[in-house]
Amino acid sequence: MNTRRWTFGLMAAICALGIGLPPRVAAQVSLQDFDALKETVQKLAEQVQNLQQTNVVREQVHEQDVKKIQQLEEKLAETQQIATNAEQKSIEAAQAQAQPQSRQPIDEATVNHNFQILGDAEFQYVKAAGQHGAFSLADFAPIFLYRGGENILFEAGFDTTIANNAPAGGGYTTTFNLSFAQLDYVMNNYVTLCAGELVLPLGTYTERGAGWLNKIPDNPLAVDALIPGTGVGAELRGAVPVGDAGKFLNYSLYAVNGPGSSDGSGNAGMLDLGGNVGVRSDGAMANLHGNPSGGARLSVFMPFKPHYDLELGVSGQAGEWDDAGNHLYTAGVFDAALHMGPSFEAKGEYIMTRFGSDDLGKVGQQGWFVQAGYKLAGLNLELPVINNLELVGRFDSLHNAYDSGNNTFDFSTKRYTAGFVYYFTSTLLLEGDYEYFHSNDPSQLSQFILQLSYGF
Amino acid sequence: MGEEDYCHTNGTTMQLNLMKRQKLILWCAAALAGACLFGSGLTPVQAQPTEKADSAVSSTNSAAAKAKAPDKKPAAIKHQLTGAELYSMHCNRCHPERYPTERTAAQWKTIMLHMQVRANIPVEQSKLILQYLQDNSGR
Repeated sequence: MNTRRWTFGLMAAICALGIGLPPRVAAQVSLQDFDALKETVQKLAEQVQNLQQTNVVREQVHEQDVKKIQQLEEKLAETQQIATNAEQKSIEAAQAQAQPQSRQPIDEATVNHNFQILGDAEFQYVKAAGQHGAFSLADFAPIFLYRGGENILFEAGFDTTIANNAPAGGGYTTTFNLSFAQLDYVMNNYVTLCAGELVLPLGTYTERGAGWLNKIPDNPLAVDALIPGTGVGAELRGAVPVGDAGKFLNYSLYAVNGPGSSDGSGNAGMLDLGGNVGVRSDGAMANLHGNPSGGARLSVFMPFKPHYDLELGVSGQAGEWDDAGNHLYTAGVFDAALHMGPSFEAKGEYIMTRFGSDDLGKVGQQGWFVQAGYKLAGLNLELPVINNLELVGRFDSLHNAYDSGNNTFDFSTKRYTAGFVYYFTSTLLLEGDYEYFHSNDPSQLSQFILQLSYGF
Repeated sequence: MGEEDYCHTNGTTMQLNLMKRQKLILWCAAALAGACLFGSGLTPVQAQPTEKADSAVSSTNSAAAKAKAPDKKPAAIKHQLTGAELYSMHCNRCHPERYPTERTAAQWKTIMLHMQVRANIPVEQSKLILQYLQDNSGR
């Protein structure tokens, strides 16, 4: 009830108020006033526009000023950093001056002179048929290399061994031999001049197979017996590439004093392959005979794939050997080496020699060897001991014959060798083999050899 | 048969043997000359893409502790050989390969000059091998 009363009361009051209020009064403005007012508004609008334009220009100037300030601040920071670094360097320089100058490491690749020692060492145990086994060899064979500049190398090899004085006496004797000593001068890409006591390129065994390089402890019979290993003289050698697949031709030409006679005579037994070094025992400087010996080797090396290659070579030497110069010594060698992958290699040489003599007439000798090795790592068995083993085998023979008219001699030795190489490392080797001799020479005994070799 | 007859017969036999050997030598010389001519004119088989130089080197020292035969056949040579490939090819001809880190750059320079002369390696190939060894040498 009360709400309804209040509602009616409020509506009545609103009606009374609407009736009582006066009506709106219309304004009276002249045309002149309106125009004046319009002009004033337009001027004000122009002023506002001018002010806005001025403000835009000022904002642009302000932005440029801000950029300049930033750049200046950056430059200031850089300058401060430079000043700091300079100060630091100054401090370091002062400290360096106060302390001794430390040595700067040299650039190894630019060192122009260098001295090196390479070589090998061997230790042997031998058990020959019918004899006591013995630790038989302690061999130290260093090679000294001195390089002077880019193209000059002096190399000398030595061989130090010991041997019992028994049965003649007590104690032992140490021998120290100069194996080779040569000066090498690389004249250009195709010619190298070598002079001195040269390792002769009769075959490849002497140059590349001796010592620890061979996988069998001793040398082939024919290499030891038939051809000289070294000679005093001069040599030109080099290699000529054929194509860019690694193939090349090899050549060697040399002149050396050549073999001599142990007693000066022309008797066959006096042939001395390793003597005649140009200085006689009385101090005289002379070849033992009138003319030097000449020799050469020519070979071709053909790689087919990495680790697959074949090398074939032929070499020979000829010259006087007796003091009177009445007899010639000639030697010819065919050599071959084959690699079939990283695990297999085979090589061999055929050697023949002829020389005249006073007592036996013409003496003909020949011998050959072939040897092969297979690294069991090639079987991919992934066994550590097996992987380090290489099986080796060799057959070699030596044949001497002469016919002096009323006396003939035919001497033959064949040797069968089977063995192994165990690689402790790539340069520390244990070699073992059994050598079976078939010979009409009673001094040749079958034997078992163990050798520890180290190449450095 | 008297001793003189025996010696004469034996001497005749030896002369025949010498003649056979001389023929054998001549045949060998002819075969070698042919091989040289063949080798000089032969273009190696160019069948497969080459394996990486590193793989060739990794198969080196194969008889040492890390010996391992290559899993697949080496590719035929058809490009100019790299120093690593030449190193692998030449060193293994005579001895197990040495690790480049065993020597310094100056030492390798001396050793390569020695090997170049001893093994009659062409100078250009020797330089490539030396570069490879020095790049990987011990410091």
